[in-house]
Amino acid sequence: MGTLVVGYDGSDCARAALSTAIDVAQAFGDDVVVVFAYELSRLGGEVEDYARALRERAEEVISHAVDQARAVGVDVSTEVTEENPAQALVDIAAVKQARAIVVGTRGEHPLKGAIVGSTPHRLLQIADRPVLVVPDV
Amino acid sequence: MESTVASESASAAGPPGSAAGEKGLKKDAIGLVSGIVIGVASTAPGYSLAASLGFVIGISGIGLQSPAVMIVAFIPMLFIAAAYYWMNRADPDCGTTFTWVTRAMGPYLGWMGGWGIACAGTIVMANLAQIAGLYTFILFGYDDPSTFLVTLVGVLFIVAMTWICVIGIELSATTQVGLLGAEIITLTLFAVIALIQVWTGNAGPNAIDPSLSWLNPFEIGSFDALVSGVLIAVFIYWGWDSTVTVNEETVDSTRAPGRAALLSTVILVLIYVIVSVAAQAWDGTEALADQDDALSVLATEVFGSPLDKIVIIAVLTSAAASCQTTILPNARTALSMARQGAFPKALGDVSPRYLTPHVATIVFGALAVLWYVVLTIVSENFLADSIAALGLMIAFYYGLTGVACVVYYRRQLLTSLKTFLIVGVAPALGAIMLLGIFIKSCVDLSDPANSESGSSWFGVGPPLIIGLGFLLFGVFVMLGWRVGHRAFFQRKLEVADPSILSNAPAGSAGGA
Repeated sequence: MGTLVVGYDGSDCARAALSTAIDVAQAFGDDVVVVFAYELSRLGGEVEDYARALRERAEEVISHAVDQARAVGVDVSTEVTEENPAQALVDIAAVKQARAIVVGTRGEHPLKGAIVGSTPHRLLQIADRPVLVVPDV
Repeated sequence: MESTVASESASAAGPPGSAAGEKGLKKDAIGLVSGIVIGVASTAPGYSLAASLGFVIGISGIGLQSPAVMIVAFIPMLFIAAAYYWMNRADPDCGTTFTWVTRAMGPYLGWMGGWGIACAGTIVMANLAQIAGLYTFILFGYDDPSTFLVTLVGVLFIVAMTWICVIGIELSATTQVGLLGAEIITLTLFAVIALIQVWTGNAGPNAIDPSLSWLNPFEIGSFDALVSGVLIAVFIYWGWDSTVTVNEETVDSTRAPGRAALLSTVILVLIYVIVSVAAQAWDGTEALADQDDALSVLATEVFGSPLDKIVIIAVLTSAAASCQTTILPNARTALSMARQGAFPKALGDVSPRYLTPHVATIVFGALAVLWYVVLTIVSENFLADSIAALGLMIAFYYGLTGVACVVYYRRQLLTSLKTFLIVGVAPALGAIMLLGIFIKSCVDLSDPANSESGSSWFGVGPPLIIGLGFLLFGVFVMLGWRVGHRAFFQRKLEVADPSILSNAPAGSAGGA
């Protein structure tokens, strides 16, 4: 019994990552922690409503992930956090003593990835445990 | 941290926002330096000066007193920032004026406050794009580009910035510090070199030795001139209140925000005074009057080639930063209004991919482009007129915020002398000053002779028509919107919870 931490934002590749994580979890009898992490720009004043809107969006998206995992009998819990996604995954994985972190190949737009760095890329640099990067095919 | 999926479905209509700290914000996200950076970046001193210095100097009767105008213009801003600070304590909401005025004085005034913010943001984007377009050409050595090309580049600028805000690329904190540092150092360098040249006799033929009397507002010949000047100069401090509203996420949240606001104030006032003193000392006021790019005119002569480019770059980066810090809060105000049923629901959408308020952002970008292009086709002098009109709108919604603060906290004002002064008197004074400025400038602007285009619409000056027209138009839009969206307009008035003030940290009211 171990734990898999999955980065999930509802995008196609995040869904692919979740499917793979569920497969692996079933095979090993692991449970899954689905993580939705986001960052906010604090420039330009207050962000409270915006943060609330994002949180609602996150809760909604992540509930689909939970349904998907529960449907095949995998234990699942969720985390929604306002933090850099890669850092959030590493931190949560440490707390859960996760077996591995699972992410899609690109949660970001390629162009944005090129400019500000993509989550999987950053994750590979800072992770202290195995990272499974799942392509969206 | 563990959150179950059984979500707390957030009621869109006026949830209690006083629960600061429950929201999973990063408490240490914003330090003192970041606080200052946010405050100063939101104000964009380089761009603000470039866009307004010439017009302040150009007002007849201001003479050599434009530095004094810069100082006087700050006073109402300081008082209004106190209102921002206290209202933000009660309800940290990205709708700011809209949300607060709605709570304190009802949905109609609240809606108009939000409308004022939206209009001011849209108009300033056009002004900003014009400056950015012009300075881009000057940077590459084309000193007299055609209006068409400037407009084209300006529009591209708005499109690019809108796109950046949509896909959520943030200039990292480090980059912001770097950009701002460069801007401030450049402006300081410009001022110091210009002043040295003045004192050594190497400045322009009309150079004047700076005098302390330039800082004295009482030397301005007419009160009318002072008001007209302040109306433009209020605009250069616009955005500074951002610092005051980011209190929760700040390290040492009882003291750092106040300190950051205070320090960014000092930085801004110093920059504005020193640069305006240096600019007019170098070759007199004649060369600067009514220039919409006063700094670039001077930079070439003060620095000589190729160093003059750094002032151009400072204004350009400032314009970029300002563009971002205009469209972000605008989109968030729209998001807040949409989520409370005061604007179309779609404006409250968050992009699934980028997690930004993409609809509101794109709508504002498109409106800004439309306004800018129309403005340019109608008349180029329109730019100056719309800056004047902008002052009206800012005065309107800042003033409204000041009144809202006093009304909202009315039951607590008499609990202590300190509360009375900083929660009651300061916002009230700010509101009265802004109301006074608003009325006085309506009178001034009604004279066609005071407009940049010199033309008259319906017998009055275009800036008044633009300013009041936007607000009146808002009333009609609001009444139209009310049909079928009654829920928002049935919101009840609220008063401040006494616990807000009793939990307040001592003496941190935005430097007040």
